[in-house]
Amino acid sequence: MIKIEPDAWQVMLAHARSAFPNECCGAMLGSSDGDTKSVKVAVPLENAFEGSQAARYDIRPEDLLAADREARRQGLDLIGIFHSHPDCDAYFSETDLKNSCPWYSFVVLSIKKGEFDHAASFLPDFEQSAAAKEELVY
Amino acid sequence: MAKILIPTPLRQYTGKSDSVMVAGATIGEALGALTTQHADLRKQLYNDEGKLRSFVNVYLNDEDIRYLAKDATPVADTDIISIVPSIAGGRYGD
Repeated sequence: MIKIEPDAWQVMLAHARSAFPNECCGAMLGSSDGDTKSVKVAVPLENAFEGSQAARYDIRPEDLLAADREARRQGLDLIGIFHSHPDCDAYFSETDLKNSCPWYSFVVLSIKKGEFDHAASFLPDFEQSAAAKEELVY
Repeated sequence: MAKILIPTPLRQYTGKSDSVMVAGATIGEALGALTTQHADLRKQLYNDEGKLRSFVNVYLNDEDIRYLAKDATPVADTDIISIVPSIAGGRYGD
């Protein structure tokens, strides 16, 4: 289960809305206790995809490295990634799967007509061939 | 010895340590020492052909080793090695 604290959730929503009609992306910092994760800080990152960002996102590794350093500085852990699907449901697409990493939770926010609609969290596997749905609380 | 920073989800394979000190003159040797000390990490970082998995980037301080000398990149005692995932996606399939 992954629980997103209210302040972090508001940052994620604001980032997803402001990026619309493009996809947004970011890092989630927090803590883990067994299978229960708690997101305390959301870090908006720049979508670095070169091309139309309406249906794609790309995170620069150096931006993720900076987010990890910030997590360590705050005594937190990098525990997940979030991104938005503009005018589309919050599922884990083939593109999401093929470019995922099995170490993290992936939260997808559905933004329809510029407003938040719903969200879901996924845990991709090692082979980047399937992603299990994870309980998401926000 | 150089320091390798361990991402949170991989600390279960390093006895919960968030960093590991390793000996090695190159990145390849340092990662080899890491996966010798913590054998369960090998499957996380390398595929069956012994190559770094597609979602694994390795940084020496602030530089991606792909733009240095890859596995042969020299490592000094004061260096910090980071394991950084490669992440992208998008709402439609390719």
